Amino acid sequence: MDVFLAIRFDGGAVTEFFFNHVILRGVRNTLEVTILAMLLGTVLGIILAVMRVSHSRPLAGFSAFYVWFIRGTPVLIQLLVVYNGLPQMVGSDEFTHFLTPFRSALITFSLNEAAYMAEIVRAGIQAIEPGQMDAAKSLGMTNLQAMRRVILPQALRVVIPPTGNEFIAMLKNTSVAFVIAFVELTTAARLIYAVNFKVMELLVVASIWYLIMTTAFSVLQAEMEARLAIVERERAIPLTSRVLRALGGGRER
Amino acid sequence: MVALSNDGGSHKVGNSSSLMLDVQDVHKRFGPLEVLRGVNLQVKRGEVLVLIGPSGSGKSTLLRCINHLEKIDAGHIYIDGQLLGYREVNGRLIEEPEARVARVRATIGIVFQRFNLFPHLTALGNVIEAPIHVRGLPRQRAVEEGVRVLEKVGLGEKLNVYPSQLSGGQQQRVAIARALAMQPKLMLFDEPTSALDPELVGEVLEVMRELAGEGMTMVVVSHEMGFAREVADRMALMDGGQILEEGPPLQFFEAAQHERTRTFLSKIL
Repeated sequence: MDVFLAIRFDGGAVTEFFFNHVILRGVRNTLEVTILAMLLGTVLGIILAVMRVSHSRPLAGFSAFYVWFIRGTPVLIQLLVVYNGLPQMVGSDEFTHFLTPFRSALITFSLNEAAYMAEIVRAGIQAIEPGQMDAAKSLGMTNLQAMRRVILPQALRVVIPPTGNEFIAMLKNTSVAFVIAFVELTTAARLIYAVNFKVMELLVVASIWYLIMTTAFSVLQAEMEARLAIVERERAIPLTSRVLRALGGGRER
Repeated sequence: MVALSNDGGSHKVGNSSSLMLDVQDVHKRFGPLEVLRGVNLQVKRGEVLVLIGPSGSGKSTLLRCINHLEKIDAGHIYIDGQLLGYREVNGRLIEEPEARVARVRATIGIVFQRFNLFPHLTALGNVIEAPIHVRGLPRQRAVEEGVRVLEKVGLGEKLNVYPSQLSGGQQQRVAIARALAMQPKLMLFDEPTSALDPELVGEVLEVMRELAGEGMTMVVVSHEMGFAREVADRMALMDGGQILEEGPPLQFFEAAQHERTRTFLSKIL
């Protein structure tokens, strides 16, 4: 009997290439850029958010403009501007060599993430009851002190879920950096199957790695939320609930 | 009589030096709504003033203007002889920079209806936060003083407990301790017991009574008439953004002079 549809899939290739050194380099690069860009982007985002809610018009204006501009243009274009566009304008060899694919990716993703984090942190700040600011100021704190000691610590708790989201989104968005020759995970897979033509197998390898990373960070996020919940409530959250919560489900108890 | 002080600002001295709080013809509007329409109020050092009145009369707004959480539109407020929020230079009023105002605010304690404790800090944490970061006390000393003031309000056993784990009355007592830790000259209370279950009201009033007995200057907005009768040196009725009547509690309860005072009291007594 003739088979209409034959599935050609070499499961062996998946295991063969799973710990391939090019793949592992891709995993490492993806993780490095994601973690560093999230850290830098969050710090910058907090600064932008505080600027946005301040009473100073120039500061608030600049922050709003930055967010509008960065969110309004594709990160792909931003990558190309940093890696190709700027060196063209600056014209110095040193400058061009300084901007390696890794550094360009890091700078771009940090600046890009800052714009999204600014909005998230701003929402967190504005979610805090005005009574908190009243109390802080009544005790003699200046606006900045009140922000640092009272408002931001509370706001940052609120923003952990959306930040975790951003982290997971960035893990995957780093694949766009192939345009500037950055060897992240997807590029690594493509490099290998360009030679051995095992397209699907390598894409499966990459996907499994992405799943491992995103799941690990989801669990970390859930753990952070659970620990902070101990402060707000009295009881700790049991382990099964934590795991379920990490995978995106579970009941709020 | 006006005198110039070292820093070039001016303040009134003389008869008013025993005045802790001097509110003169204060106006405040929120958009089209004028909430304070020429409020005059004087509170002497060590005096306890209980401010009563219907909701919307501007009592909370007045308290918030006294510690400059709100800026007034007209009039003057003097705290212990010093003009608040502005300095007078050549007859013109110039706004004080924020840092200066913050320092004056540190000398005025305020207790809010909804406590406004910092949820991410323990009771002790709440109390020592401002002494460390505003008064600049070393942590050790702030903790010692903090423990003392929490014991004074009866919460010596709850130092390391979070606000969410305390009852309303306990939270409010922490709020009082937190304000006292800054060693204020004047304490403002904005309906401190209105958000509490009835059985928890007594413990807070008791702390306030003790504070009054120790000579703290207090302005209390409250509906607790028992407290007013026993503890207040003077009472004032506020309605429609103005003080309509002022006097000792006995006058209020037995011989109120203004029609509105009698009406209001008859509704709540």
